[in-house]
Order: sequence, then C-alpha cells, then structure tokens
Amino acid sequence: MIMYSIVPLDDIIEGIENNEPSQEIELDGVIMQVQPMNSYQARIVRLISPNPQDYLNPAYSPGQTIYFHPHIET
Amino acid sequence: MNNNQKASEVEPQTNDQNNKNPTVENIQQLGQNSTLQAESNIFCMTIIGQVEGHMVLPPQNKTTKYEHIIPQLVAAEQNAKVEGILIILNTVGGDVEAGLAIAEMISTMSKPTVTIVLGGGHSIGVPIAVSSDYSIIAETATMTIHPIRLNGLVIGVPQTFEYLDKMQERVVKFVTEHSNITEEKFKELMFKTGELTRDIGTNVIGSDAVKYGLIDTVGGLSEATMELNKKIDEYRQTKNGGMVQ
Repeated sequence: MIMYSIVPLDDIIEGIENNEPSQEIELDGVIMQVQPMNSYQARIVRLISPNPQDYLNPAYSPGQTIYFHPHIET
Repeated sequence: MNNNQKASEVEPQTNDQNNKNPTVENIQQLGQNSTLQAESNIFCMTIIGQVEGHMVLPPQNKTTKYEHIIPQLVAAEQNAKVEGILIILNTVGGDVEAGLAIAEMISTMSKPTVTIVLGGGHSIGVPIAVSSDYSIIAETATMTIHPIRLNGLVIGVPQTFEYLDKMQERVVKFVTEHSNITEEKFKELMFKTGELTRDIGTNVIGSDAVKYGLIDTVGGLSEATMELNKKIDEYRQTKNGGMVQ
C-alpha cells in the first residue's frame, strides 16, 4: 500500500494501533461491519452487500447507529 | 413579492434543522451526504479528506471509504432515475490504488460525469479530478502535483526505485490520458523544485490548472450544473436514437 497525499504519513497513521475491533452482523439481510459503542448500540463501519442500491440507503451509511433490542426468550 | 415567497420557503427549513435531519446527521457523522433525493436526476458524490484504501485510517483522519464509493457509483450507473453524476472533490490525497480505482470507475461510466475541485484536489485527487467527462476547478482551489513518496513496506534495494517509478507511471498515464496535459508538462510540474517547502512538486492554483490543460475550466456550481444538464440532454438524445424529446 502506498499513500499519495500531501499530509505527512506520520500524521495520517498516528494512533493506528488503537483501532477498536469491529464485528460482523446481519441486519435486514445486509451484512455489515459494526463497532459496538455499548451493549445496546453499535456504529456502522462498512457494508458488505452485493446489492449496489444498499449503498445508497442513508440508513446503512457508515457512521449510522444501530440499536440492539434485548428480549427474554419464553 | 418574490422575496416574500423565498423567505417563507426558507423558514420551514431552519425549523427542520432542529429536528433530526438525516442529511445533516449524515454530514455530521460521515462528512458525506449520500442521500439520493428521489426528485433529483443528479447523483452528487463528495470525495473529501483522505481517500481510504487498504488500511483503515485512525479517527483523526477524515476519510472517504473507497469500498463505499465504488458500489455507489455502480448503483448510480444502474439506477434509472440517475441521469448524471456530479463529483465534488476536496481531498488531500490518499491510497494510490483506491484513488485510481475510483478514477477508473468514474471514467468508465456511461452516464455524464462532471467533477468540481473545491478547496483542494491534491496528490491522488488529481487523477480523480480529471477522470470525468468535464472537469471544473474553483478559482481559489489548488492541486498539488508531487512525486509518490517512499512509504509502506519497503526494502532498500535498487529495485525499490524502479517499483516506485512504476507506481508513479500509473498516475501519470491516467492523468495524461484523461486530460489535455502532456506527459512532459505533468512530469515537469511533478518534479519541480523550489515551489513547495517540504517536497518537490508544484501547487497548481485555479486558472493555472486550466492553463496547463489539466482541468477544463475555472468555475463553480453554476458552471457544473449547466455543463451536466447539457451533457444529460445529449445523453438522452443518443439514448433515444437521436430523437429530440
């Protein structure tokens, strides 16, 4: 990988080792990588979808928050 | 009368901003407004900050994720409602492969494309800026043309130089093929000394970019929409077998 930028590389990669882990989940049939914020919320990192129209859906855009709803199985 | 009408139209929008406006939220969260308005036949795409490629960049970088941009371009190409694509650039550069991938995607679209450089279209932003059918640069916008620097996993052998030269050749070739600048001129700008304080290269501002043949014209939003609408009309005509609708 080669960075071609006017910003010095040191400034770009500063703190790269602190990257928080993300996990894959499936929501409405779309696989997405999310970063958990707490037990109920997660932020979308990226979509993994073969349907290009999913990438135009503002609800799925990276940075959006998704919510988990806990329930008791009876 | 006209002014009154406008004022009343503006007011509800400011009220809306107090509520959760998805577009505003998108911009806050993502730095990007990817909402496709149903009534617009133009798909507007912004390429801002660093073009993020194979490496996830730390959060202090504002990034454009290429794996998100590319399917959006596919969707825009495929979506019947979209007739033209407006690409707005304000980028400091980024990953060579990701940038070239975006540039190649834009240049091979069948629908009319117009790029507009606002603020800056530096480094890998240059091939993206020239990839469209028609490129516009704002008068105050700049483009930094400089050589690709040594970074990443590199071992100090003579072949390293050759590899770097090859990487650079990809950028030079793309730019010269998609704009009116000659290879000699582009390389001259790229390797110029005494222009940049920390690097060799040239800072090309607004009208200079047009003078060198890199960009088609100096202008702003009105030039961009006018050109895009003109190209959309031409596109419709060719699609309808030359019939004027």
